[in-house]
This record gives sequence, structure tokens and C-alpha cells, in this order.
Amino acid sequence: MPMCSMRKGTRKNERGLLLLVLACGVFLPGNIASAQVYLPKPPPEPSKYGEVILDNHSTVGPGPVVFDHWLHRSKFTCRLCHVDIGFAMKAKATGISASTNREGFHCGACHDGKKLFEGRPIFAACSNAASDKQCDGCHSLGKQGVRKYEYRKFTAKFPKGIYGVDWEAAESSGVIKPADFVEGLSVKKAPMQSREDFALKAGYSWVHPVVFSHEKHSIWNGCELCHPEIFPSAPKGTIRFSMFSNIEGRYCGACHGKVAFPLNNCQGCHPGAPLWAP
Amino acid sequence: MFFATKFMAKMITAVLFLGLVGLCSVRAMGALQSSAAQANPAQQTWRKEFNEVCSKTQAAMTFSQEELTDLILRCDALLPQIEKLDESQKKVYMGRLRMCRGLYAYVLDAKRNAKK
Amino acid sequence: MNQRIFIAAALILVFCGSALPQTGVKKKRPLPYEYGRVIIDNYSHKANLAPVVFEHWIHRSMFTCRVCHVDVGFGMKAGATGITAADNARGYYCGTCHNGTRVVDGKIVFQACSRKANMEEEKRCVRCHSYGQKATSDFDFFKFSEPLPKERFGNGLDWEKSEELGLIKPANFLEGVSTSKGNAFVVQKDFTLDPKVEGMPDIIFSHKKHTVWNGCELCHPDIFMGVKRGTVKFSMVDISLGKSCGACHTTVAFPLTDCQRCHSKPVQP
Repeated sequence: MPMCSMRKGTRKNERGLLLLVLACGVFLPGNIASAQVYLPKPPPEPSKYGEVILDNHSTVGPGPVVFDHWLHRSKFTCRLCHVDIGFAMKAKATGISASTNREGFHCGACHDGKKLFEGRPIFAACSNAASDKQCDGCHSLGKQGVRKYEYRKFTAKFPKGIYGVDWEAAESSGVIKPADFVEGLSVKKAPMQSREDFALKAGYSWVHPVVFSHEKHSIWNGCELCHPEIFPSAPKGTIRFSMFSNIEGRYCGACHGKVAFPLNNCQGCHPGAPLWAP
Repeated sequence: MFFATKFMAKMITAVLFLGLVGLCSVRAMGALQSSAAQANPAQQTWRKEFNEVCSKTQAAMTFSQEELTDLILRCDALLPQIEKLDESQKKVYMGRLRMCRGLYAYVLDAKRNAKK
Repeated sequence: MNQRIFIAAALILVFCGSALPQTGVKKKRPLPYEYGRVIIDNYSHKANLAPVVFEHWIHRSMFTCRVCHVDVGFGMKAGATGITAADNARGYYCGTCHNGTRVVDGKIVFQACSRKANMEEEKRCVRCHSYGQKATSDFDFFKFSEPLPKERFGNGLDWEKSEELGLIKPANFLEGVSTSKGNAFVVQKDFTLDPKVEGMPDIIFSHKKHTVWNGCELCHPDIFMGVKRGTVKFSMVDISLGKSCGACHTTVAFPLTDCQRCHSKPVQP
């Protein structure tokens, strides 16, 4: 009889629907946890910005490593470390270990006790002959008074912007001269022609368009840092960039939000926009 | 006279029976040997044919369309023979035949296209 | 009712989709001795052995790509060939050379796999079944790579130049396996491919350079199907996913980050 069969059918459908919704519920918290719910957090104070904690092997050995970007980016271009040496752009993704360092890879590519910087040999990383105090120079998480350089003193003469150091101005004024070539590590290649600056229109009419400058980026990144892994070549308009993906650490967010100027600095990309988003 | 007693009858039957069995087995052995002798050449011929057909891939571009068609037909003829091989041999040679035939078909296609 | 199910299904797809691996991030660059490493784990766990670790740099210095991928018949993706211990023991795939009798470079190649597994044999098994363990190999990458000309990316070696200079002599023929000794008789001339993105230098593709190591059948028609130039469009996205050029130039041949190796005309002085 029609009524009975309808009731049976609804019960089956409802059961199926309940299962589907439960499945949603299983996936949803996981996604929320990973995507940080799409709200940009206010950045930490400038001395902590760009700090990378590496604790792959913290249960054995001298403890987690604290890597400060501000120290290294004043001396070398992004390209040198992330292309020539091959560091990944996410903490712990590279798989650095004491043995790879001793083999002359990763940190050991420069920190080998032989390469000279400003006339002095750079200390060897993870050397068997190092004292505990020397290990603490990098493995410094939670330890006081062990690091050689301090942010405020080191960046005292650097021009400042809306947030911490204005690295672009620092380079153009000659205060810092980041090296792009290390003998024995880098291979000289003929430079490729840089594309002209172009504008990216926003999806919303109230958002100022982004003006992207290849030239400004390729001075420090070369081509290979971004292409093709972060920005695969595709016809214009096929890849949609959004603030959401930036906050997740993809595309522009691979650098901007972690090391390069934070996403709160609206005017950095959107000329004419408000200066800062709290 | 030979079948005078039951015992004799049984003995003679047994001897005749054994004789029959012996004759048949000799014939069977002969047959087996001859088929084995045939099997080895069969095995050798497919391998020889495969080597002959698929050794020419590097010269594929120099062949005419007729020659390429002939090579493709010879590959197709090899397929049923390769399908009968043991597991490992079949796996390897099916793959090699596929690549070999695929190349000839590809070059033939390219030549036909070029003519258009 | 159907509408509600549809909405629920759409919700699931959205949430599941956002959990999938994403583009737009920079992964770690494999170390020179890691590049070209293939982990094979079809059946190892059934034999209570660690997955196999295959290093391309050891083998590509001794044999051309064609010998293994055409003559011996290996696939171009980890796990695609379906190699079994039985295949190896019968003298196929790895067992073609790793049979305890074939001599390569004056050394007898150790036997791969065995018809009967026992404790003594295990030492030999772990020479290949070494994933996650510290492997002891007869070959040391640093010693091997020291005299060879260097390039950036990949193994950090210029394999092309190494062969030109005679520092490596990859064999193109395997006795009892290969069908022909010669290289391609007629090779197409080098040609240019125009990139879609303006400002990128044109790509110069050299058949000659590729056929020296690959022959014809490795690429045609499995990897490159098109017979008329210009009909199939290659995109960098497809290539980075392993299609067309990416079949080799993502994991074994020089990687895509070395733009100028392909996009070489014109290049600014």
C-alpha cells in the first residue's frame, strides 16, 4: 500500500542522510584545525617573525633548533638557500639531520668550518668536536644567553617599515648586500628575461587590484624558487588566488605571512588599500 | 593345450596383457619424445621471430608503409604464442611486444599523416 | 529528500576536497644521492621484508635507459611493473642481471631473490630490501660523483657531459636480452617548441640527445602519442604531474626547476 511504502522509503532515506551528515562531521573538525578557519592572525613581534623551530630529532641530542630568518636573509638571497641548497619552505619538511649536515648538505653546505664569511670561517654544524656551548648556539630553544646575535642590536641601522625591517629599502640603500652566489655551491646560469609588472584584479569590486612585480621578486628568488612548484605555469585566469589560500601558506602565502612581509600589510600588494589590517 | 589348466590360462593372459602394455608404452614413449622434440623448436622459433621483428625498431623511420604493416602483422602473429608462455616470460614479453608493435604503428601513423 | 541528499553529498565533497594534497607549496628538494630513488613495495611485506630501494644513479652510469625500460621491460612508475621474487629468480626483471653469474664492469652481479629463503640469505636480501634501514652498498655516491662534471639540481651531475667526456660508458646492449645493437639510424632534427607564456625563451628539443639513451620505443607511443607536431599541447602543469616530458624530468632526468636546460633559446647573455 502506498502509504506504508512511502514511510519505509523515508526511513531508508533518512538513515542514509544521517550517515552522510555524520561523515561530514568527521571531516569538518579536521579541516577546521588545519585551515585555521580562514582568519589572518596578527603577526608576532618582528624579532620573532620568520623564526623556525626545528624539532625533528629533539628527543635525541641537544634539543630543538631555533633558526632566525632575519639573520640569514641579511646576508644571502632567498634563492641561495631555498634553491641552491634546497631547503623546503615549511618547518621540518627538509629532513635535516646531524649526518646530512656533516656530509655538507643543508646547514652544513655553509656551516662546514671551512667556508669563509667576511674573512672568517663559518663554524661547522653538528661537528663531533663541538662543545655543548657551541651546540647551544643553534639548539637554543628555551636556553638563555647562548645566541650570538640579537635582533634589536643587529637590525638597529636597518630602515624600518610598517612592520619590522623594510628589507626592500635595506637592500636598495645598500645597508645589506645579500649574496646570490657561493663558490662550490651555486652554478652560474645566464639570467632569464623577467616579465613586466602586471595587475591582478580582485574578485570583489571593493578590493584594490594587486600589482605584482616579477622584477622585485626575482632579485631575491630567481625563477626556480617559485616556478613551477609554488606557481605552476598556467594560462592567465586558470589559477584562482585568494586570501584564503594565502593564509593557508599556499602561493603568495608560501612566503608572505611567514618570512616576507605579513598579509596584514595590505598596501604591500594592493596599492591604494589601507596600510594595515589588524 | 596351453590353456589346459586354469593356472596356464591365467599365465598366458598375464603375459599377453604385459606384452600389450609394453607395446603401448613403447609407442607412447616414442610419441612423447617426438612431441618434445617438436616443442623445443617451437619455443625457439617464437623467440627467433621476436628477435628478428623487434630488432628493427631503431630503423623504423626508414621503412616504407608496406614494410611497417608487415612488421605489425608479424607482431600480431606472435601475440598468441607469447600468451602461452609461463607467468614471468609472458609478463616480460607481452610488455616488450606491446612497445615494439606500438612503435611500428606509431611510425606508420606518422607517415600516413605526413602524406596527407 | 533527493535534494537533501544532494546537499549533503556536496558538503562532503567540499570538505574532503579541501583535505586533499595541495599545489602552491614548495616541497623539499631531494639531496643529490636521493634523487632518482625509487621505492618498490608491491609484495615485499608479504615476505616480511622492507620495501626495495632502487637507486637510479648507480644503474644509469652503466646502462642506457633503453636497456632497462625497453629490453628488460621495467615500467616507468614505481610499482607499475609488478616485479615478483619468482620473476627475479627465473632471470627476468632485476634477475636479468642480478643472477649471480652475469659480469658487469668486471664484477659478478649478486643474485636477486631466491627460491628458498633462509637466515643466511637474509644478508643478501637486505641489500635491496633496505627501506628505512641504513643500507650498505658497494657504491658510494661521493666517490662516484667526484670526478664527474657538476650541474645544479637532480643528482647534481651533468650526465650528458659525463658521457661525452667518456667518464661514464652506459652500455646499450645486454647479451641474451637486447635484440639489436645499433642506435637509431634516422633521427629527426632538433626543433623548437613555442611556450604559451610570453617572455619565456623557446624550448629546443633535441631528438638526438634523447635517442642516444632512450631509443624510440621508450617514448613512442606510450609517453608521446601525437604524430603531427603542434597538435598536442603540453602544459607545465601536466608535465609536473608526470605526463609527457614529466615522465622522466621530474624524478630521474634533470628536474623542472632547471628551466634553462629546455627553455634555452634565446637566453640573455
